[in-house]
Amino acid sequence: MKKVLLLSAMMLTAVVGLAKDIKTVVVTTEPQMHCDNCVNKIQGNLRFEKGVKQIQCDIPTQRVTITYDADKTKPETLIKSFEKFGYKAKQVKEVKKEPEKEK
Amino acid sequence: MMMLSLTVYGQEADSLQADTMKTENLGNVTITSRRAGTRKLGGVENGVQITRAELCKAACCNLGESFVTNPSVDVNYNDAATGAKQIKLLGLSGTYVQMLTENLPNFRGAAAPYALDYVPGPWMNSIQVSKGSSSVKNGYESITGQIDVEYLKPDADQGVTVNLYGNTKSRMDANADANIHLNDKLSSEVLLHYQDDYGHHDDNNDGFLDQPNLRQWNLQNRWKYMGGSYIFHGGLSMMKEEREGGQTTHTMQMTSSKPLYKIGINTDRYEGYMKHAFILDSERGTNIALMGSASMHLLDANYGNEHYSVNQKNAYAQLMFETNLTDQHNLSVGLSLNHDYLTSSDKETTPGAYAQYTYNLNNKIVAMAGLRIDHSSIYGTFVTPRFHLKLAPNDIVSLRLSAGKGYRTVHAMAENNYLLASGRQLVIDDLQQEQAWNYGASGSLYIPLFGKTLKLNAEYYYTHFSEQAVIDYDSNPTQIRITNLDGRSYSNTLQVDATYPVVKGLELTAAWRWNDVKCTYGGKLMEKPLTSRYKGLVTASYKTPLGIWQFDATLQLNGGGRMPTPVDGLWSERFGAYEQVSAQITRWFRHFSIYVGGENLTGFHQKQAIINAADPWSSSFDPTMIWGPVHGAMFYAGIRINIGRL
Repeated sequence: MKKVLLLSAMMLTAVVGLAKDIKTVVVTTEPQMHCDNCVNKIQGNLRFEKGVKQIQCDIPTQRVTITYDADKTKPETLIKSFEKFGYKAKQVKEVKKEPEKEK
Repeated sequence: MMMLSLTVYGQEADSLQADTMKTENLGNVTITSRRAGTRKLGGVENGVQITRAELCKAACCNLGESFVTNPSVDVNYNDAATGAKQIKLLGLSGTYVQMLTENLPNFRGAAAPYALDYVPGPWMNSIQVSKGSSSVKNGYESITGQIDVEYLKPDADQGVTVNLYGNTKSRMDANADANIHLNDKLSSEVLLHYQDDYGHHDDNNDGFLDQPNLRQWNLQNRWKYMGGSYIFHGGLSMMKEEREGGQTTHTMQMTSSKPLYKIGINTDRYEGYMKHAFILDSERGTNIALMGSASMHLLDANYGNEHYSVNQKNAYAQLMFETNLTDQHNLSVGLSLNHDYLTSSDKETTPGAYAQYTYNLNNKIVAMAGLRIDHSSIYGTFVTPRFHLKLAPNDIVSLRLSAGKGYRTVHAMAENNYLLASGRQLVIDDLQQEQAWNYGASGSLYIPLFGKTLKLNAEYYYTHFSEQAVIDYDSNPTQIRITNLDGRSYSNTLQVDATYPVVKGLELTAAWRWNDVKCTYGGKLMEKPLTSRYKGLVTASYKTPLGIWQFDATLQLNGGGRMPTPVDGLWSERFGAYEQVSAQITRWFRHFSIYVGGENLTGFHQKQAIINAADPWSSSFDPTMIWGPVHGAMFYAGIRINIGRL
């Protein structure tokens, strides 16, 4: 019984340990995104930032949606990282959280 | 959903810097797609564009190594002693493919046998392979297709890229490209390449180097000016190459009193090109373009006791006018002048004129008809008709048909001087201008399947020659005779391929091609020697979601084929099928990437790469009967460093 309890405790600890705090931040950029080259530059640089999991750039709405691991980075760090490749980013506050759909 | 994902594929821009998964939001649907390394050309001609992303799936040290993952183009080693490489397209020799750089004809005559080594891989932005008779704009020469190499562009992001490569066969490559924007209109670029391949490897212990020792220095400077109504492109390049092949004292048993059989090939090449475009009406796409190129190719080659040297000069000019008469009707007309000088008895001047009309109904029906009239100073006036039709009623199906004629003036000695390495006597007859018709049909299906797109493609091409310079190994065992075709000569090829992104980031491609290539040698219709009956290809490429890691693997199956008629039982009548496996892993960092990989991982190599290697001074000595790889497994590693490019 003790063994079962110990095993359950270990599994619970492991699950808690593995559960990442995945969050999303949405920003607009300055200069604006005009074409695929702009998108490439943003995605190509941002992907090397610690904690970044996914980057979505949408030219029509001028939004960059960054999915990140909140245990490893925070929105301020990600926004600051835009300066490394000549951009400025500003967080868009009024974001509704939507479940992610992928194709 | 299907249409949306197709749109994403069609809009992808080419960039190595940010070769991540592309994710787009369209309405309430999020689409994540991996950019395709090889894209089907959208126009009326059937072909593919091989992008930088595809070129990075393998080391691709030069143009010749850029087709490893491509099912359409075969690259063979011509010759075990000189390492001269040949492309094969539609089962036919590379001489029937028109080589272009920056959309201008290049690498003619004496440059043809070694041309694939003259374009360093890291210099290339993309390669376009068009199959079939192609457009008449670039001349009458393409018979099986065109391969156009686009170099890196001066007006791309400013910065420097350095590429260093080394392999277990003692090859070392160093490349650099640098570009600068002098103002918002003028940009310049420098491309550098150095290659040192002095391995002295003789793994099969036949006393001969498996591939020649090679040193190459290559330099190119390019300029681009983008004015409002005037665009200029121009560049200069120079290349020096030294090849040393033949017997090596490393493994040679020095029991014979005869001297070592040595091969030495020195090449100096100078090129220049310019393009001027005057935009007369940007809304209608009306423009006049004046293009020109010139080259000097000095070759000095020694094969044992045989010697060949040539100072080949080429000059080419083209004046072109294009306009969209309406949204549906496009007209292109032009004049051209080509001059080739090899010797006082081998020179040709060819002025020509063309007109090409294209009808385009919303990209659903595209018809292109072209006609050229040229006048050769040797062969007189000749006419080149070509026709293409594309039907794409929806985003799922597209069909293409093409028919056209091509011609080629043969500079037999310049194009085939590597045959002097054979112990047989090389005999060249008084040759006619080559003439061939090419007919093609192809169909593509983009099928939505489990939320992704299955791309299916099938194509059939038939080429038949009415005049051809035939390289005949079969009629006389002591000769290689380049003679005029007397009988039939044709090629049938059928290819099917499929591509599907199995899971996110993993793309699989499978292809199969049947070749039926026959030619008349000494009055007998025979299978073309040293040509595989089929080729199969499977490639798998996986990229992690942010594109930090990339894993690529390719399996090729090459079918067997006929050897030239055996003499004294020195070799078999046929060669067997063989496989080739290559793999590469790439890791991307913010300012650099490293890659490690291997080629020919199963270690397969042609056992008898050189016929009668023991006696190179005999008439039965022959290093030109190559159908497979001549060296075993090879491993490599490299690094690409970006400086200043964000």
